[in-house]
Amino acid sequence: MRNRFKSSLIATGIAAATVSAVVTVSMTQTTGQVSRTARTADGKPNFSGVWQANNEANWDLQAHQARPGGVTQRGVYPYAFAEVPAAPVLALGAAAGVPGSLGVLQGDAQIPYTQAALTRKQENAAHWIDRDPELKCYLPGIPRAMYMPYPFQIVQSSTKIEMAYTFSNAARAIHLDKVEGPPDDTWMGHSVGRWEGDTLVVDVTHFNDKTWFDRAGNFHSDALHVVERFTPITPDALRYEATIEDPKVFTRPWKIAMPIYRRLEPNIQLLDYPCIDFAEEFLYGNLRKQQLVKHWEGETIVVDIKRKVPPGDRLYEWYGK
Amino acid sequence: MRRRLLAVLGVGALILAVIVLVKVAPVGVAGQTSAATGSSTKTAWGDPDLQGIWTDEFQTPLQRQAKYAGKELFTEQERAELDNQRAGILRRDQRVEIGTERDVAGAYNAVFQSIKHTGKRTSLVVDPADGRIPPVTPEAKQRSDADREFRLALLQATETCKNHEAACAGGKYGPPSPRRAEIPSFYNTGRLNRSDNPEDRSMTERCMAAVLPDFGGYRRIVQSPEAVSIFYDVGQGQGWQRTIPLNGGPHLPQSIRERFGDSRGHWEGNTLVVDVTNFSPKSDFMGARENLHLVERWTRADAKTLEYSVTIEDPTTWTKPWAVKHEMTRQDEQANRIYYEPRCHEGNYGLPALLIGTRAEEAAFAKGRGPNPATKDSATDFGAEGGVDALTGN
Repeated sequence: MRNRFKSSLIATGIAAATVSAVVTVSMTQTTGQVSRTARTADGKPNFSGVWQANNEANWDLQAHQARPGGVTQRGVYPYAFAEVPAAPVLALGAAAGVPGSLGVLQGDAQIPYTQAALTRKQENAAHWIDRDPELKCYLPGIPRAMYMPYPFQIVQSSTKIEMAYTFSNAARAIHLDKVEGPPDDTWMGHSVGRWEGDTLVVDVTHFNDKTWFDRAGNFHSDALHVVERFTPITPDALRYEATIEDPKVFTRPWKIAMPIYRRLEPNIQLLDYPCIDFAEEFLYGNLRKQQLVKHWEGETIVVDIKRKVPPGDRLYEWYGK
Repeated sequence: MRRRLLAVLGVGALILAVIVLVKVAPVGVAGQTSAATGSSTKTAWGDPDLQGIWTDEFQTPLQRQAKYAGKELFTEQERAELDNQRAGILRRDQRVEIGTERDVAGAYNAVFQSIKHTGKRTSLVVDPADGRIPPVTPEAKQRSDADREFRLALLQATETCKNHEAACAGGKYGPPSPRRAEIPSFYNTGRLNRSDNPEDRSMTERCMAAVLPDFGGYRRIVQSPEAVSIFYDVGQGQGWQRTIPLNGGPHLPQSIRERFGDSRGHWEGNTLVVDVTNFSPKSDFMGARENLHLVERWTRADAKTLEYSVTIEDPTTWTKPWAVKHEMTRQDEQANRIYYEPRCHEGNYGLPALLIGTRAEEAAFAKGRGPNPATKDSATDFGAEGGVDALTGN
């Protein structure tokens, strides 16, 4: 298994080196029955296709150590590093942990919050389940939509580039031509793009203050301004950079960057993730006439996580198999 | 009082959504479209160019009215006359008896009505030639009868039935039915007169109303050589993104079911032909669910016109396939008159309000302080809602 992993890494490395060598010449690669050129008819890098980030940014943009659960509580010891998973995720065992990461911040160890905003960020993290818009299936906003753990599709034309996201069926059009912005603030922002050589630069404005950057409580206000840069590394990988500016929340602009990879399966396509439906029990379960798994006790929501262990699946029986 | 307040809140949420729609609705045919002029009808890479913002600017009923039997097209004079009639029946501040359920639920006035000019055809349905949807199969009839019977049972203790209103046609007035405890025989998509669970409420109230096919609203089409993207700006903040692959691959396996089906497109000359299957049992287009099969044809007729036709087939629902056709007109690109953000769900106060309100009513009733919630009507469409054409009622 480990060997296979290692050899696939090597193969990927070789493949990356090979394709990066030819990225500037016109190159045709076959995906399914459509052939895709490295450049579009108007000579721009061809970003059309299905892409996905492959990192831990959606958990926390900042460097972080692995944790035993998305929500944890004090264990036997009083130390943060010795916490145990808390009730809402406990039933999922090791599948509910948070993977560690070196983070995607560029040039900063920490996001430059104002003092008041830092306090709010810490409160957000402590109330992740109640506050993160992702759990409610709300529109994810930009840049978060770019690195959520779901594929998204780019449909690139000459004057518009549509980005369609799996999560919440979210979408945005990047306008390369001049259009009026929306009359109100928005979740996904208003995206206006331009080419700087081979880099697509997208200026995103008109945000509301309701989206987050990740599951760690990193947030912004309605003064958010994001400048994104999409630069091809190879035909199948691009460098994504976002400069984040919000004088109400941060002391100065800061930057994240990451590679985003093409999904190379020949039959890759976006599949529906109908999370409005999926989130109903989470959002409204306690309002049912007869509760299924969630109810109120005074001001407290109780989630029933009783698990019946089927015959033959008790821990010691599992070892015997 | 509390319930009333909650109901008002719910309506408020809908109103906000409608306001947004009204803002982007076309005000008339005049003044539209210089943006389209001069644009080529081929993309830079040589495919037919369907791109832009499109909407059907004309009012055409889905089915042909009986009085127009045998008549496919209106004359210009008839269209002008129908426009006059339609303009004359703006339901400005139409009220029913103040303080009634009907008054609260029908809180829409002329501000919420978008009035479009009369289209040239007497029906969107072009096949069969009589402009009418073919009869349903006996099995579909049985399904809809059983469904109707269940809905009427849930309504039977309400004023709506007591007063023999149209919404109770075929039902009777009586004490709350024991059927109020039943689950529907198939997945509910309409408004039941019950709020035990979110699933009792309609897909509209749950912010999942959009269906394919769709004959209203706006579309933003963006193309690449390998896919066609269509953003549907439809419903009350319930728009959705569709991406049609052009890679010639097979449909998804039967086990994967999608809310808007699985679309596969290819070019036939100047026409984008899209085959749509794999619908989910939760999607409901006029009673057709997982067996729905669509064949759409999108053709750029000229610089400012996009023709759309769709053949609709489901042998478990209709006795034969039928087809709809309409033309959409290119909208101003610079003004970007499309509402991208389908944020009905993000602002859905209405659904929890209905549930919280009903729980509060039940608690009050249990203490002898209010009416039995089963006697209240939260299901009937009280009419006069946005989007309904005053002239034809559809």
